[in-house]
Amino acid sequence: MRLETNLSHSWTYDSVRRTMNPSPFIPQSSDRVYLDHNATSPLALGLVEELVRWSRSWGNPSSIHWDGRAPKNLLREARQRVAKLVGANPLEVVFTSGGSEANNLALKGFHGARAVSEVPGERLADRSQFIVSAVEHPSVRKTVDYLTRWGVQVRVIGVDRDGQIDLDSYAEALKTPTALVSVMYANNETGTIFPIQKMTKMAHEAGAIFHCDAVQALGKAVVDVKKWGVDLASFSAHKFYGLKGAGCLYVRQGLQLESLIHGGGQERGRRAGTENVMAIAAMGWMAQAADQIEERAGAMKALRDEFEQILLARISDSRINASPGKRLPNTTSIQIDGIDGETLLMNLDMAGFAVSTGAACSAGSPEPSPVLLAMGLSRKEAQSSMRLSIGWGTTREELARFVETLQVTVQRLRSLRDAVKDEHL
Amino acid sequence: MTTTSAPSKKRVLVAMSGGVDSSVAASLLVDQGYEVIGVTMQVWDYSATQCDLEEGHGTCCSSTDVDDARAVADKLNIPFYVVNCEEKFKAQVIDDFVSTYLAGKTPVPCVNCNTYLKFDHLLKKMKELDCQYLATGHYATIQTDELGRPSIVTSEDNWKDQTYFLFTLDQAILPLLMFPVGTWQKEDIRRYAEERGLAVARKKDSTGICFIGKSGYADFVEKHSPPSELAPGLLRRYPSGEVLGEHRGIHQFTYGQRKGLGVAVGDPLYVVKIDGATRTVWLGEESCLYASEMIVQKLNWLGPWAPGEKLRVKIRFQHRGAEAELVPQGDQLLVRFAEPQRAITPGQAAVFYRGQQLLGGGWIV
Repeated sequence: MRLETNLSHSWTYDSVRRTMNPSPFIPQSSDRVYLDHNATSPLALGLVEELVRWSRSWGNPSSIHWDGRAPKNLLREARQRVAKLVGANPLEVVFTSGGSEANNLALKGFHGARAVSEVPGERLADRSQFIVSAVEHPSVRKTVDYLTRWGVQVRVIGVDRDGQIDLDSYAEALKTPTALVSVMYANNETGTIFPIQKMTKMAHEAGAIFHCDAVQALGKAVVDVKKWGVDLASFSAHKFYGLKGAGCLYVRQGLQLESLIHGGGQERGRRAGTENVMAIAAMGWMAQAADQIEERAGAMKALRDEFEQILLARISDSRINASPGKRLPNTTSIQIDGIDGETLLMNLDMAGFAVSTGAACSAGSPEPSPVLLAMGLSRKEAQSSMRLSIGWGTTREELARFVETLQVTVQRLRSLRDAVKDEHL
Repeated sequence: MTTTSAPSKKRVLVAMSGGVDSSVAASLLVDQGYEVIGVTMQVWDYSATQCDLEEGHGTCCSSTDVDDARAVADKLNIPFYVVNCEEKFKAQVIDDFVSTYLAGKTPVPCVNCNTYLKFDHLLKKMKELDCQYLATGHYATIQTDELGRPSIVTSEDNWKDQTYFLFTLDQAILPLLMFPVGTWQKEDIRRYAEERGLAVARKKDSTGICFIGKSGYADFVEKHSPPSELAPGLLRRYPSGEVLGEHRGIHQFTYGQRKGLGVAVGDPLYVVKIDGATRTVWLGEESCLYASEMIVQKLNWLGPWAPGEKLRVKIRFQHRGAEAELVPQGDQLLVRFAEPQRAITPGQAAVFYRGQQLLGGGWIV
């Protein structure tokens, strides 16, 4: 298999959008511009054909007979490829249903195992503190909150207005005996990349285990868990042009982890249940693109930087959130004065553009982004922000169309707001 | 409002509750060639307080309605969004509902929801989404007189008429509103929904207040009030003042109530007066419930009227309306009924009609 090397418009598969009935007035399928790759990405071109092929290997990979061999091979191959992609050994990869499960497994699994761990230095039962950043995904934040019921003390490290983590208070926090630190590789809303290597070193010096939620990393950055030095790292397939329903947790060799799901001995006893073979195979198939990531990330960054310059030039009274620091190459969080992000999203959607005002996990009725609030933005500033995340297939032409529509929409919404103001004078 | 000729692709925002009426309203507008956008207000998070499982619905209360609305929007192939109004709903509807009960009155939360959410928040959204009209599933009609002035007129289905809840609307917004089912009978709406294959065709009508679950409104008030506000008080005989017993809080009572009074006396007794200041609930014979006058405040008008003119006045949603004369007293009104009315209840709305035309209304003191 060889993925296309040119960053062409036809990189991804959009048959899903084509299966919806045409709406009387919303642009459809290829006319739509998808700028929400941090929520999920379209399927890689060619993947559906592979899925059809793999579907013939429908046996149970745990079966001893012939029919179990092909799916078992798919799993093994995928494990090798994914391990290579993230810089791990195959045995250090535990497949899960996705990023949220990987995060839950890392935190709960570590907490459950540490009391009984036989590894010297990992029996951290007497340490009650877990450290997280203030901008973690809910699957980390809510999991550590849950663990407070079982004696865990949670320490939250704040970020500044530029989204940068407060390393001084992190160092201060580590003076309290700490069992585990969980900090994301990059934030899903602002794209801010955290100094994982440095923070891991600090954690290790304090005798703590380090987990990294790296769900936003695949396809956007070169991942190397050994170089980072982390003990645990979470990944998701569907944000990397694969299928929903697969992800993995990197577990450093030797680190003990209790399973969340008890049952059969799959994943070496760390995740029971018959594997989601097709989705895992798809994740492995995508992992073959490892050698393209640097080039694609560079291309996205060039496009994104140009996009941001045009945005700032064309949309008055707007600014990029978290722009000074190191960011993912595909993410833009823009704040537009006097605009309600929710309304803007609806208008853009109807004009054929998919954007987001925050994480996609909420019920579809957005509250102001907790990430932006944690950065010290006011409610109003957070509510006037929008997230744009491009992908491997995004083109300059699509972004140009987007800017045109955004400019007209912002002008219209602002003139409405001014009309209301005049009424009240 | 009737729209026979296909408009030149005008956009309408339809408030969809997940019920059959607003679903059919959306569908009718699609039939008529409008660009229809569906929107559901997420107004109250039930999940923290209660969860009533309705038969046939496996999920949690409020989200079931949002899912139903979304399913109809999918069927109609129209854009659909959920708008978060929880904060506004809490401030304008829930807080007022609770404090009105705690003051010994009986609130009408649907009016505040219309005033501050449907015809304010959503009206703003309608303009922001580049729509020309806002439509709801209300049983009401808008008619235009020979001078082109629109007014709200009761619906074809008299039994379902909801104009009572619309008296606070600003007349200036009437040209922007559509009530597509106002000219329909309920049974026809259900038949239409069935024919169009809308999943909500047989969904039960919502009765009562959307945020009150099976445990009842008194329970709701208790859960949302500081304990200090729920002090007990006396039940007294009207007019003698004889103490008949104690109660746990005046929020449990409404004018004309006969059941659940917690006293056993020979004659049937009714709540005839609730005194918020002393927390006294007065019980008396049914005849004591009748009065010929009331004071109405915080008035809003949708049309002109002349002092001395006899108007039809509704004092609660399910009141047929009674003839009365309105006498201005400063910024209040004295309403003199031709016949005494039973259980005129503070906190309820008094709504004025000339024939079938909604003229305005206010709140009973």
